Amino acid sequence: MTLGGYEVRLQRRVTLPGWKAALFSILAILFGLVLFSFIFLQAGQNPLEVYRQIFSYSFFNANGLGLTINRFIFLALASYAFIIPFQAGLWNIGMPGQLYLGALAAFGVVYLFGGKTGGLTLSQPVILALMLLAAMLAGGFMGGIAGFLKGKWNVNEIVVTMMLNFIAFNFVSFMIKDGGAFMNLGGRGESFELPEVARAPMTWGFPYTLFIVLILMALLQALFSRMSLGYRIRTFGKNPLAARYAGISALRISVLVFVLGGAIAGLAGYHYFGAVPGVYKIARTYAYFGDLSFYGVICGLISMGNPIATLFIALLFGGLSIGGRYAQGKMHLNFGVDYALMGVLMITLVAFQFFYHYQILLIKKEKKRDVAVSD
Amino acid sequence: MFRTKEKNEGIKLHGDIWKHIQPGEVVLDAQGITKRYPGGVLANDHIDFKIKAGEIHAMLGENGAGKTTLMSILFGLLQPDEGEIYVRGLKVHFRSPEDAIKMGIGMVHQHRKLVPAHTVLENILLGHPHSNGVIKSKEAEEEIMALAERYGFEIDLRAKVWQLTEGEKQVTEIVKALYRGAKILILDEPTSALTPVETDRLLESIETMTQDALGVVPFITHKLPVVLSISDKVTILRRGKVVDRLKTAEATEQILAQKMVGRPVIFNLQKPPADPGETVLEVEDLSALNNKGVLAVDHISFKLREGEILSIAGVAGNGQHEVAEALSGLREIESGRILFMGRDVTQMSVLDRWKLGIGYTPSERTDVGSIGDFSLVENIAMNYYFDNRYNRSGMLDYGGLRQLTKKIIDEFDVATPGPDVKIQTLSGGNLQKVILGRVLSRQPKLVIANLPAQGLDVGATEFVQRKLLEARSQKAAVILFSEDLDEILSLSDWIAPMYEGKIVAMIPAVEAQKDIIGAMIAGLHQES
Repeated sequence: MTLGGYEVRLQRRVTLPGWKAALFSILAILFGLVLFSFIFLQAGQNPLEVYRQIFSYSFFNANGLGLTINRFIFLALASYAFIIPFQAGLWNIGMPGQLYLGALAAFGVVYLFGGKTGGLTLSQPVILALMLLAAMLAGGFMGGIAGFLKGKWNVNEIVVTMMLNFIAFNFVSFMIKDGGAFMNLGGRGESFELPEVARAPMTWGFPYTLFIVLILMALLQALFSRMSLGYRIRTFGKNPLAARYAGISALRISVLVFVLGGAIAGLAGYHYFGAVPGVYKIARTYAYFGDLSFYGVICGLISMGNPIATLFIALLFGGLSIGGRYAQGKMHLNFGVDYALMGVLMITLVAFQFFYHYQILLIKKEKKRDVAVSD
Repeated sequence: MFRTKEKNEGIKLHGDIWKHIQPGEVVLDAQGITKRYPGGVLANDHIDFKIKAGEIHAMLGENGAGKTTLMSILFGLLQPDEGEIYVRGLKVHFRSPEDAIKMGIGMVHQHRKLVPAHTVLENILLGHPHSNGVIKSKEAEEEIMALAERYGFEIDLRAKVWQLTEGEKQVTEIVKALYRGAKILILDEPTSALTPVETDRLLESIETMTQDALGVVPFITHKLPVVLSISDKVTILRRGKVVDRLKTAEATEQILAQKMVGRPVIFNLQKPPADPGETVLEVEDLSALNNKGVLAVDHISFKLREGEILSIAGVAGNGQHEVAEALSGLREIESGRILFMGRDVTQMSVLDRWKLGIGYTPSERTDVGSIGDFSLVENIAMNYYFDNRYNRSGMLDYGGLRQLTKKIIDEFDVATPGPDVKIQTLSGGNLQKVILGRVLSRQPKLVIANLPAQGLDVGATEFVQRKLLEARSQKAAVILFSEDLDEILSLSDWIAPMYEGKIVAMIPAVEAQKDIIGAMIAGLHQES
């Protein structure tokens, strides 16, 4: 293609420094926001005002920030649940099921020790530790099923995790609705409320699960860049045949990544139903959070499995989902405009990954001198 | 989007362009072909050459000399940055292989481009312009059979491609190109997968083609004798440039090798006398299935001592690959026992075999032996991530691995910008040096080398073979799987020709005769 005396040519990149990757992501977000402002203009709104409303509520308003951070913790955990198997080349689509089961197990501990009827006598650290452990074990068990079937008989993990989601969804209904063991005494189709002692303590207005996310980030970063296990996971993910040649067991890796991923998804379930202020029960609308966990797939894919980059993406989408809904209500925007905005940003973020692999060269026709412009 | 007007000129004329062709006439003229890759690699640097009708013009060069790039440009898979191509004096611009095919250029790839589940006939007709969706197989079949007969190809049009041997697949590709009207036939490593008998037959067919005024261009990295026996002219490429062009009659194997590599090449490896020690490997009654579930290894037994090289000779698909995989633990076996240093390892995992001192260099270097997306350091880690020297309570010592990688780069003479580049940027020969270096640096007691020099150029082949002899001198037991009888004769202490899953004979190298082994691997000779 020629453009006014210049030849435009695509060239494959050989290397890409990290700051450039980050720069392209920021450009993608800006581009997406500009693109979407036409929708706001169409609706007769000033896009700058809408964006101001969205971002000031989600990040600079005490109320909004609390909601954003809770969303962020949930999305980050869901993303990590996706990323670990993803690094092994496997797709965990089972976060909803794993988080349902994690939440049920955490509530199950409280139930066993008499928390439903007010007879819970354990101290707070003990009951919290037991709830966390139970949520991780249950989520890990749920994930482990898919990992085992994949590693042992090469059963497609996407199908298995999806099917398990349905089972877990109905199992939650069975437990919290009519006559279920966890049913609220008022029978409102939701679970009993956690007693005071079993609710997550807050630091600076945020539940302690925030620290779990930060610790996980450090652990996952070390896992993939330093540890032998992370190396084995990545090797298996890049090339299962080469991994087999190197003596890496497909069964062990598959089970392990799904158990770890599932355990983290279990934590996500614990977080939303056991640590978010004002919830503290498995809500009637629990399916909404199951669906929300699929944003973990998107965050994981956009960040290409990088545990640090994931947090920024999760924070962005956490904030947008809260701020977008707020602005929609306040400025009487069309229903669904918040999710449409997130959708557009996802598309531009993924589309801009093109520049991770290619650069555009403008070559002046006469002088044959190469000028790189996209950098 | 990236098309320009000028590129379309000429393509329409293809029907007439090949009329009244005379032998000796220049049919393809490439001038100043230049191709630069991102990262600044100059793969082709102003390459000129002419192909004449009825001439066999070999292109010779090491891996990385720019042959693949040149071939891809001639066949329209790549566009040159500079330079022009003329077909019968007409300037052409190939946007895709389709354009090249229309201009009478046919290509026979080394890595076959056939659909395994389809029949030979379906593969030949696939994409043929005459077929236009409706295949008149009756007519086509007759035409194809006439073609095959003319050039002396034996071909079963009803057979499925996956059932064919490598030689038969190649014949299918050649017939496909001819049926599409190729007048210039590019052959990529035409003899590398063929038995001696098949090679002779192919050379006869090529001879017939030249009588019909076809231009034949074989591209070759090794097997210099083939170049000498068939071609009229040789163009030698090195580092993207034409370094020489000569009449084959004036060339010898030594001259060609020297020009290709850029330094004298020793054809006779220094092989010290064998000094065998204790038995390292004992295989008893081993049987294994191939990927299709058919018995591929049929109750074989052999022994191997330290300081010896045993070569399993054979044509691809006679069970050698399955033996190599069974020994390394990658393939489950049906029956038998494998003893390593007197210990039964039959049921041992791949990882435990590595730890015990069994080293395997696979023939599938890009699919199994390395991870293209990983750096050299990460690739070296494939055989070291479990090693206590580089794995301290679960943490990998990347600094130490990097040092080790540098050492291997040095010792194995790997051409690379450094240890941190992705391994997919390396040429085939350098990739194999990294893999071999990784395995041999572990100083394994048993080296299983599966086609270690296949597809490598003269220089890299010599290097790999020397390293295997070094391992032998250092008291390793080496089991070499090879399809190249010259390589086998120059390296081995014992030779075991394999045919249809059985070891035909166990021959001490001093008594080995090339023609007898050649007959054995072709199933023509049974040891009495």
